[in-house]
Amino acid sequence: MKNDDPAVNVVEAHDLTKSFGEDIAVQSLTMEVPRGTIFGFVGPSGCGKTTTVRLLTGIFKPTSGTLSVLGKSPADFSKADREKIGYLIQQFVLYPDLTVWENLNFTASFYGVGLFRGKRLKHLLDFVELSGDKNKLARDLSGGMKRRLSLAATLVHNPELIFLDEPTAGIDPILRQKFWDYFKEIQTQGHTLFITTQYVGEAAFCDRVGVMYGGKLLMIETPDGLRKKAYGGDVVGIRTNEEISFEHRRQLEALPFVRGKVKIISDQEVEVTVDDASTAVTVLLEWTQAQKLTVVMMEQKSPPFDDVFVRIIEKEIAND
Amino acid sequence: MIRLFKFLIRISSFLRKELTEIFRQPKLILTLVLGPFLIMFLFGLASPSQGRTLRTTFVVTDPNSFRQEIDSFSRSFSTVLVDYVIETDKEKALAALANAQTDMVIVVPYVPLETIQNNQQAEFLIYHNEIDPFQVGYIHSVAQVYIEEINRQFLQSVVELEQGNSASLQTDMETALVKMEALRKAVPAGDANTAKQAADLEKVLTDLHEKLTAFRTLASDIMVKPFSAKVSGLSAVQLTVIGFFSPAVIVLLLQHFSITFASLSIVREARSGIMELFKVSPLTAFETLAGKYISYLFFEILLAGVITVLAVWLLKIPILGQLQDYALAVVVLLFTSLGVGFLISLISETDTQAVQYSMLLLLASIFFSGFFLDLRLMKEPITFLAWSLPATYGIRMLQDIMLRGSSVPQLVFLGIACMGIVLFLIDWALLRKKMSS
Repeated sequence: MKNDDPAVNVVEAHDLTKSFGEDIAVQSLTMEVPRGTIFGFVGPSGCGKTTTVRLLTGIFKPTSGTLSVLGKSPADFSKADREKIGYLIQQFVLYPDLTVWENLNFTASFYGVGLFRGKRLKHLLDFVELSGDKNKLARDLSGGMKRRLSLAATLVHNPELIFLDEPTAGIDPILRQKFWDYFKEIQTQGHTLFITTQYVGEAAFCDRVGVMYGGKLLMIETPDGLRKKAYGGDVVGIRTNEEISFEHRRQLEALPFVRGKVKIISDQEVEVTVDDASTAVTVLLEWTQAQKLTVVMMEQKSPPFDDVFVRIIEKEIAND
Repeated sequence: MIRLFKFLIRISSFLRKELTEIFRQPKLILTLVLGPFLIMFLFGLASPSQGRTLRTTFVVTDPNSFRQEIDSFSRSFSTVLVDYVIETDKEKALAALANAQTDMVIVVPYVPLETIQNNQQAEFLIYHNEIDPFQVGYIHSVAQVYIEEINRQFLQSVVELEQGNSASLQTDMETALVKMEALRKAVPAGDANTAKQAADLEKVLTDLHEKLTAFRTLASDIMVKPFSAKVSGLSAVQLTVIGFFSPAVIVLLLQHFSITFASLSIVREARSGIMELFKVSPLTAFETLAGKYISYLFFEILLAGVITVLAVWLLKIPILGQLQDYALAVVVLLFTSLGVGFLISLISETDTQAVQYSMLLLLASIFFSGFFLDLRLMKEPITFLAWSLPATYGIRMLQDIMLRGSSVPQLVFLGIACMGIVLFLIDWALLRKKMSS
């Protein structure tokens, strides 16, 4: 069933569970991945991200629950369905004794790409900036080049839905940024990307982010939504020329849109969690004027996703 | 002192690591230790406790004339000559020999006594269809022992006959003496019978003289060895040891190359993780296996070509049969060997294990394929093991084609082809399981 409607979900999982004997790797996972989005799957090592990808690609059969990928259960995938899927494995699995070009050609062959594929391969090598190294043996490539070759091999058959299992693991921040540039470009070409990562900060590049911990999917949100959920709202930073006293903080906490305690950064700077930063900032400015405080800075803060993630996990542990 | 201590600690790190890794592979250790031991044990069971028996066909002009002698003689040689038959048509007997229905044809001389009396050895013609120089030597030895036994038996019968004859000779002598005495007494009387007695006496003496003359003119070497044997093989060429073993070496090399390459192929992919990529892709187990078979077959055929050219040019090994038969035999051998290799690859967990299994198979092939010990000498249950090795079929086919000039032996070809197809199906099923699990 081919459906290019962006409103259609390419992945729909309901109450999906996978266990290996007594060990439950994925527990009651329910999610939807809309077409054309970058879906980030964030979580620490061993939390069940790869198992989820293996369930979605049909490598594993679910123990229970229902799953639909591209409108079909992966167990019922036809060859044509499989041609619509690209899969980048965590480790480098291509052949060390073949050149970059030969590896790419081999991958294209087993996906059934037509014999006149030279232009496509060349385009992909240009895309991952490996054209100058096409005659190099894979074993002579650096770690980053190997990842880029793997990415090119994943895209060689122009798949609709691309699963990338920790594509940026173990590579330097500059190359990681480059990879996310690639992913954004692939997305603009109409592909859907399902990307797992343990670099929580990469959640910012995704349209939607699923947070996984201990085999459970804790939440699915937009990156901003994730922050809101972690902090209970938007964070607004306030810095003044005068000292922000205990009385000032008490008054701030008493405001109706302020959530929780005011966080003290210094004598003259605090962070306030509010329901909605866009409306709260005006009211907060009025409050500072009323308190005769000279505002040096008042802006919505974007806490790093590492902090966001830690907060979410802490909440989860507290709930358990 | 501290340096020495640290030096020892550094060494111990490897000691611990290597031993832990080794002991984490119990299957590997088991095959390393038990594999060769099991092969040697089975080889001990397979080895013959006595010499090879030969199914023998005797060719005689008149089946009744020598039956008694052949029966008695074969009984005394029952440990070597078995299932003997008597045939009057030499060509028919040789055709049976060529078709491996009999192991040896003995053509009994037409009129042996007359030949010997004419001072010539009566010659037994002994035919075999062996190409193995050791087996040819064995037939020669059997022929030698056989002919010595015939000579011994013949001399014994002649002596017994002559002992019987000597009794009449004694009587003749006594008669001659009596007649001599009567003649002596009658000579003065001028008896009329004297002339007749003298004539009788003269006749007896003449007979004796003739017998003595015949005895004295008989050649002493013919008297001692009245019979001889001439051994001939059906094969058109006289093979050296190298010549005989070359087809077997070619087969063992090709089998080993195929098995080693194939055995490392899938296990490496399974270990590298690319199998996971295959599982997600539209690639099927059949396509994967077919692709691998075709590529390895292509490479192995090239390799077989090079080996053959070297064997023919450098070692002067003949190919008496048709080249297309040779090619067909090699292709089916490679196909089946690849099947064995892929099977090893699919059941092995590591490269080391796959290489170890391949080496064990080579060892088993050297001992049980007929390369080391003639299959006809192997004990029955172990021959099942022999016929489960592609090399056994390969050696049989290549020896027939290269050294005998025969076409592809149909039963052997059918056997190895069936084995190859069954292996392909098993490999396919195992790979499907691997790619779907």
